[in-house]
Amino acid sequence: MTPPIMTIVLTTLKVFTLVGLGLYGVFAAIMIRQEQLMAAVLEEGFEPILRLLTILHFAAAVSLLIFAIIIL
Amino acid sequence: MPTLYEAPTTKPEKKPIKAHSHTKMTPLTAFAVNPYGVRFETQEADEQVILFLRQHLIVNVPWIALTILFLLAPSILFPLILQSLPAPLPFGYVLVGTLSWYLVTAGFALFNFLHWFFNIYIVTNERVIDIDFQYLLFKRFSQAELERIQDISYTAGGIFATIFHYGNVYIQTAGALPNLEFLAVPRPDKVVEKIRNFMENLPGAI
Repeated sequence: MTPPIMTIVLTTLKVFTLVGLGLYGVFAAIMIRQEQLMAAVLEEGFEPILRLLTILHFAAAVSLLIFAIIIL
Repeated sequence: MPTLYEAPTTKPEKKPIKAHSHTKMTPLTAFAVNPYGVRFETQEADEQVILFLRQHLIVNVPWIALTILFLLAPSILFPLILQSLPAPLPFGYVLVGTLSWYLVTAGFALFNFLHWFFNIYIVTNERVIDIDFQYLLFKRFSQAELERIQDISYTAGGIFATIFHYGNVYIQTAGALPNLEFLAVPRPDKVVEKIRNFMENLPGAI
């Protein structure tokens, strides 16, 4: 029995979305590391805020990945 | 007996010492003379930062405009895409798609801001430094000692550069050392003048 075309499309979309969000999570983690490296090169007062922003960005990426796993 | 020599009662006048005004740093500072609270990785104990430069703020306009467009896109673009689909998409997919779009837009803005923020040019009383955040996990640290600088020049061309007063500063160094380029920095004439003044005041300078 062949599954309906919509199921195949949605499954493909789900796999692409999850893989994409996973890769995006890796990118967000690398951004945190990069910010740490650059903050070591230049000491200025604004780095804690930038670090917080990169961490929040990473947290949002991971949260969305988990949310997508649950909801899709 | 007549007085042959009378010692001067007043002390000889000292040359006035030029007060160094310090510039307070903000996250958007692109030009700072004697900046407060800036230190860099290889700074020596007696080394002072004289000039701190980033690219002019105006270079951020293209990515800020794109970010605004990306933020507005879901309200215009998504209904059109959803209407054109042959079958309705489940709500979960629409929600995850919309949230992903905003997340990627935020990441795009953050990455571009980091790129601008950490691309810096520093002039100290000993050397000129160019620190580049080129792309993820790649940084470049170039420097030239002030006494190794052979020539320094600047260009400022184009409508925006003329209106907003920014340009490129080119620093030629002696021998096999790489030349340094300060791209799109504010007040390039002042930058050249500052570096020239320091080069002229170096011990052994003609």
